[in-house]
Amino acid sequence: MTKENAMTLLPGRGIRALILSFLMVTACSTGGSTGSAPPLAGCNSGTTLATFWTSHTPPDSDSLKNIVTAFNKQSNSTCVKLVQVPGSETDIAKLTTAVRGGTGPDVYMLDRFTVAERAAAGVLEDLTPYGAASLGSSYLDFAWQEAQFKGKPYALPFDTDTRALYYNKDLLKAAGVDTSALDARDKPVTIDAVRTMANKVNKKDASGNYTTVGFIPWFEQGWHYTWGFAYGGTFFDKAACKVTPDDPKIVQAYKDMFWDWAGSLGVAQAQTFISSYAPPNLPTQQNAFLTGKLGFMISGDWVLGNIQTYVPNLKYGVTYIPVPHAGDAAATWAGGWSMVIPKGPKNGKGGYEFMKYIAGEPGQRVYTKETQHTPTFKSLTSDSTLFPGDAATRHTTEPAAALATAASATNDKLKQYCPLA
Amino acid sequence: MPTPRAPLFNRLIPQSLYVRVGLVLACVFFLLPFYWMANSALKSTAELSTFPPTLLPQSLRFENFVNAVNYIPFGTFLLNSVILTAGISIGAAISNPLIAYGFSRIKWPGRDFVFGIVMATIFLPFPVLIVALFDIFAKLHWIDTFLPMIVPAFFGSPFFIFLMRQFYLALPGEISEAARIDGANEFQVFLFIILPLAKPAVAAVVIFAAVQAWGEFLAPLLYLSDETKYPLSIGLQFYRQSHDVAYNLLMAASTLIVLPIVALFIAFQRFFIQGVTAGSVKG
Amino acid sequence: MIAAPRLRLSHDDWRNLRTALPFVLPWVIGFFAFTLYPIIYSLYLSFNQYSGFGDAVPVGIANYKHMVSDPLFWKALYNTGYYTALAVPIGLVVAIVLALLMNQNLREVAIYRAAFYLPSILPLFALTFIFIVLLNPRFGAVNYFLGFLHVPTINWLGDARWTKVSVVILAQLGAGGPALIFLASLRAVPVELYESARLEGAGPIRRFWHITLPLITPVILYDLIYGTILGLQIFTPAYILVGGTSGGAAYTAGPENSLLFYVFYLYKNAFQYSDMGYASAMAWVLFVISIVLAVLIMRWSRYWVHYEAD
Repeated sequence: MTKENAMTLLPGRGIRALILSFLMVTACSTGGSTGSAPPLAGCNSGTTLATFWTSHTPPDSDSLKNIVTAFNKQSNSTCVKLVQVPGSETDIAKLTTAVRGGTGPDVYMLDRFTVAERAAAGVLEDLTPYGAASLGSSYLDFAWQEAQFKGKPYALPFDTDTRALYYNKDLLKAAGVDTSALDARDKPVTIDAVRTMANKVNKKDASGNYTTVGFIPWFEQGWHYTWGFAYGGTFFDKAACKVTPDDPKIVQAYKDMFWDWAGSLGVAQAQTFISSYAPPNLPTQQNAFLTGKLGFMISGDWVLGNIQTYVPNLKYGVTYIPVPHAGDAAATWAGGWSMVIPKGPKNGKGGYEFMKYIAGEPGQRVYTKETQHTPTFKSLTSDSTLFPGDAATRHTTEPAAALATAASATNDKLKQYCPLA
Repeated sequence: MPTPRAPLFNRLIPQSLYVRVGLVLACVFFLLPFYWMANSALKSTAELSTFPPTLLPQSLRFENFVNAVNYIPFGTFLLNSVILTAGISIGAAISNPLIAYGFSRIKWPGRDFVFGIVMATIFLPFPVLIVALFDIFAKLHWIDTFLPMIVPAFFGSPFFIFLMRQFYLALPGEISEAARIDGANEFQVFLFIILPLAKPAVAAVVIFAAVQAWGEFLAPLLYLSDETKYPLSIGLQFYRQSHDVAYNLLMAASTLIVLPIVALFIAFQRFFIQGVTAGSVKG
Repeated sequence: MIAAPRLRLSHDDWRNLRTALPFVLPWVIGFFAFTLYPIIYSLYLSFNQYSGFGDAVPVGIANYKHMVSDPLFWKALYNTGYYTALAVPIGLVVAIVLALLMNQNLREVAIYRAAFYLPSILPLFALTFIFIVLLNPRFGAVNYFLGFLHVPTINWLGDARWTKVSVVILAQLGAGGPALIFLASLRAVPVELYESARLEGAGPIRRFWHITLPLITPVILYDLIYGTILGLQIFTPAYILVGGTSGGAAYTAGPENSLLFYVFYLYKNAFQYSDMGYASAMAWVLFVISIVLAVLIMRWSRYWVHYEAD
């Protein structure tokens, strides 16, 4: 046992300087941060502040900014402050923690699929007292239905989106692929046809790693819904109040598009390609499709805006999501976002005024124009189909087993909310 | 670990040679990440995705540092990190010397039993508490403030209490006795006699508290929602998720985050090393 | 060291207690407010369904029952166990080897000591950012250098077989701290022991096994327990590596949920899925697991820890 207690050297000045500088910084910062909030630039005098949170990122969030600016210019009662917060479709941890701490926003932009789930958890304000029930007829019916929970409106629908098959014409032509079947646009091509074309694009380097890949069906928006619907499957049995991801058609879709496709590409090589050229949080402009590393990609309409912004010279085409058999009807699905008032708003009235604006005609018009998203406001559009869905967890075990697990695990939790009115 | 062939080598080559080889190899492992960080921080975005990767930047892009600071609200995040670090360090500097004194320089019944509880909490995983702590702080309206991070520091932390206690125990009891005979009360003995002697230990506590606070991730993630209050840890991760931060800017920002700790280490190396090894005195 | 307090207190005892109380009071308050109360409160929550909004609804042991049938709970437990079982022993070996290397009389040893120790005090989140770039399968340094050794491309962060290994390697950057503690205890080994062993003809290996190792077993025990508890808490690297943007990465915790560590899943349940009751039940299970593991290691250590007679 050592009795050597070596702490004998003391650079006293160093420590004192360190503590002093800490104290000074604290003093400065408390001095700086306690001032009362000045009225935001661009707002009219006499307006009350309402905060609006979104987890959206550029270029979409830039358009939201423009809408907020336009709103502030015309409103004499409300001044909206846009705040970008971390989060995603399923991750609203920042919102829930803030609301519980009493520091939530007045308006939040929420994935529309999750409105009922969040309303059931008690995160959202019922919009009936604000008079939202009367707005239903202005919106596409499917979007409006998604904004309801137990017969009451909890959200105003914002945009919607659709998935399609994108293809890089230059890359396909360079690989000797005739893209005329894709360019025709009159009917969906078969998955087999896409497979044949895609295989010609696959290229490996000396070490066996892909440098370009034709098609990775699970990349980007190649969700369980995408292929499940393409194969004609259904995910939810409303009468029984059960999720049905183990529908045989969905199992077949998983087998063809994920299990077998991954097998033929080489699971490890395909994932290495994604990890190299499209790891999580990679800047949008470095997306493997945009950088010309990928022949085909399933993605949403926002890609149109991304291409316009980042690679305006890319020669690309868009067509239906391919189908299992020639003659099958094309399928896709629509998601989209909505505006909600979280529990305990400080300026709910002002927040609602802004919601009506951004989710209404003026806001949706700007958003559609700037981001190429599809509007849900009837007077602005007249397309899209109803595809209700329910979240299930993605697994990479054998498809049938994985989907059975997903069904039982989800149904176990779902029970407490059934019946879904 | 010496390989089974070590004795043979030992006879043929001077021992210091293969020790040096081992040391240099270990250094490569420990320093490679930082070389790669600096290398990537100075590359152009295009050069970052060339294959094979370049071991030195083709041209040094020092502007990446400027761009990182301007593009990411680095100044705001930095100020928040400094406030948090300062608050936590001050709390640690005040509470731990005081608490440890009560556990070492005064003999009271049950002291060692209670100190046993203090030590046991070292082994309590913090995440066990987060659900309930969040609810408590939410009810106190402390969410979206620095209070949930800073206030607990004023109530002591078991490792620092242990570190201070080790130091106090090594000081002879006669020092206090002499002061008590002169009529000083226990607090005066602590403040005017013992604390001045314990400066090196307090310094070690402050430095460790600061280093810990600088790297804190989970607590700010839970308690802060307004991005203008984020420290560098969650601020940078948030910015990466929401604003397309290219890798060279991310590495430039990481360099700027790492540098203050490196500077602190160079300035106070002895305190770090002695602070760590204080734990081994007990054996 | 832990003995129950004597019941009968003398006058001096009372006086000392009164004197000491103001000193230890901050800890006592902190212990009750920030440790004991949250533990008890989460036990209460674990028997409720509570979204964090509105009132908690008692559900008996439903949360604990759900754990049994929740595949992700078992996945998280497996991942955490896998990580801990790998990171702790490797960390121990790395720390001891570093300590042995640093315990040489070399002129430049201070440089090595700084190089090994410095990474251990750098923020884990920043190290994780660096690893993202360092471990990119195509453009990262690690695979580039491994390429010279004809090691086939390893997809460190994108292949479920390697993600946890990557985090284990990341954790080794923290080995400098424990290595210094080992170094201090190596320095405390009396030189005479080595001298007499050398005279008896014991080589460096035998000297290590029979003299050094037994004498540092108390530090090994401490490191084993503390490392295990830290291993169970692993969160930050996984949170950062998984990312949080929309798209596939946001829905699974790394490829095949291979980075879904226990605390990550607990966090997701509490703050992403608004299921505080289930998260509290998970917290309590983690609490019990930590205690059981610590006690088991203590028991086991009786067979190998060498306590020097004082």
